[in-house]
Amino acid sequence: MFGWLERNPFFFAVGVFIVIAFAGLIEIVPDFAQASRPVAGTKPYSLLRLAGRQVYIKDSCNACHSQLIRPFKSETDRYGNYSLSGEYAYDRPFLWGSKRTGPDLHRVGNYRTSDWHANHMWDPTSVVPGSIMPAYKHMFTNVADLETAYAEALTVKKVFNVPYDKDIDGDGKVDVPLGSFEQAKKQALAEALKIAKETKREDLVKMVESGKIPEIVALIAYLNGLK
Amino acid sequence: MNWLSDNVNQLALLGAAAILVLTIGVSAKYFKQIKEGKSEGVLKDENWDGIGEYKNNSPIGWSLAFIGTIIWGVWYWFVGYPLNAFSQIGQYNEEVAAHTKMFEKKWANPTKEDLLGMGEGVYLVQCSPCHGIDATGIEGKAQDLTKRLLKESVLAVIEKGSAALGDKKMDGVGKFGYQMGEMPPGLVSGDDAKAVAEYVANGFKGNQKGAEVFANACASCHGPDGKGMNGMAPNLKEYDDTIIKHVLEHGKQGVIGTMPSFKGRLTAVQEKAVATYIRSLSEK
Repeated sequence: MFGWLERNPFFFAVGVFIVIAFAGLIEIVPDFAQASRPVAGTKPYSLLRLAGRQVYIKDSCNACHSQLIRPFKSETDRYGNYSLSGEYAYDRPFLWGSKRTGPDLHRVGNYRTSDWHANHMWDPTSVVPGSIMPAYKHMFTNVADLETAYAEALTVKKVFNVPYDKDIDGDGKVDVPLGSFEQAKKQALAEALKIAKETKREDLVKMVESGKIPEIVALIAYLNGLK
Repeated sequence: MNWLSDNVNQLALLGAAAILVLTIGVSAKYFKQIKEGKSEGVLKDENWDGIGEYKNNSPIGWSLAFIGTIIWGVWYWFVGYPLNAFSQIGQYNEEVAAHTKMFEKKWANPTKEDLLGMGEGVYLVQCSPCHGIDATGIEGKAQDLTKRLLKESVLAVIEKGSAALGDKKMDGVGKFGYQMGEMPPGLVSGDDAKAVAEYVANGFKGNQKGAEVFANACASCHGPDGKGMNGMAPNLKEYDDTIIKHVLEHGKQGVIGTMPSFKGRLTAVQEKAVATYIRSLSEK
């Protein structure tokens, strides 16, 4: 029956590969598929947070800050619960980082506030004496790129079926609205105004009221959402 | 013969000699067997084109090992692996449980010095990024913990009322955190409010008018001495254990800003330690 296989080394090699890979296929793939599903409560990034995430990547925050809390007591004491793979379901790409020059930021939204971030990014040593983090004053004047963030959100919504405009937790309400660019921008401006007021900086509030969102506000929205 | 004094060389030489002797001995045995040996076994009945086969029973040791392996295999497949497999999270849980047990045993009855030391450690890691290393609140960015209350904070609470550090999602007492419940806004106003704010912020000293207002409007809940009548209402005079525990668990929203909740991040002893440390700051 399989005599022809013995006469065709190439197909024989393919057959051997399938037989050997089969165990891996049935052991690894189902577990991987299960673990990469979003953990309950994980939601896609709103437009403002996505813009902040792009600022985070653009200014290479991930070069010094990780976003992965390992299951060790020393880490969970300091940073909170250990990270689960399903929490990164909407991260494209994930920002685990490989080096901690600064502290981990995966749950920074739990223990820092908007005004703290604003003070810290304006002059890190004013709140953390001895900090070696550089100041990021340009973020207070640069305007966040909502168009690109919207393009990313719309792309992942269409291509990867990321649940924007959907009721994720089953309470009958849309969890993360996106809609058209105008609707999304209006929503982002409302969120940004709230954060700008929390930072207690007049210049940021004025900028948001004039329809422009400073990068720092988008970044703080992103950091506050890391929980 | 210097190289022979090294014991590794001696052992190697001994090993080489042993290999040589064994090789010669074993070879000689088989040469002898080929030359002189006679068959002692019993042939089976079958033969194939005249070629026969001896009856060879499997050795007892081999049979036992074979059966033993099957039994072990069944145990490993159904019990050994599933129940004893390594799990990183399992190891983490064991680590945490062992630490918690050790911690509770070690700090079952902490002295005041123990609490002060522990409180300072926890404060520096968890609280100092906002309240500052010297606990003065970094120039108004957060509550100055070396003083109990600022005049602005007292005025803001009088004007807006207070949910008394409550969790609004909870019912009953939990909703307000304190037995006395929510403080309504506008109990005093105008100059009276300013006077009482000054009196409270000044550590219940000075401003005679403020003292009178306090006795009339505030003392019924916060107590005549301002200490909150043993946890019925917030203590306005010092940071007692109750208020620190409430703020750590519920967070706080005040005129200065918002403090996030630290629920579940500290143990009961650590919370007490932080309270002890913070109290010690205003005693200085």
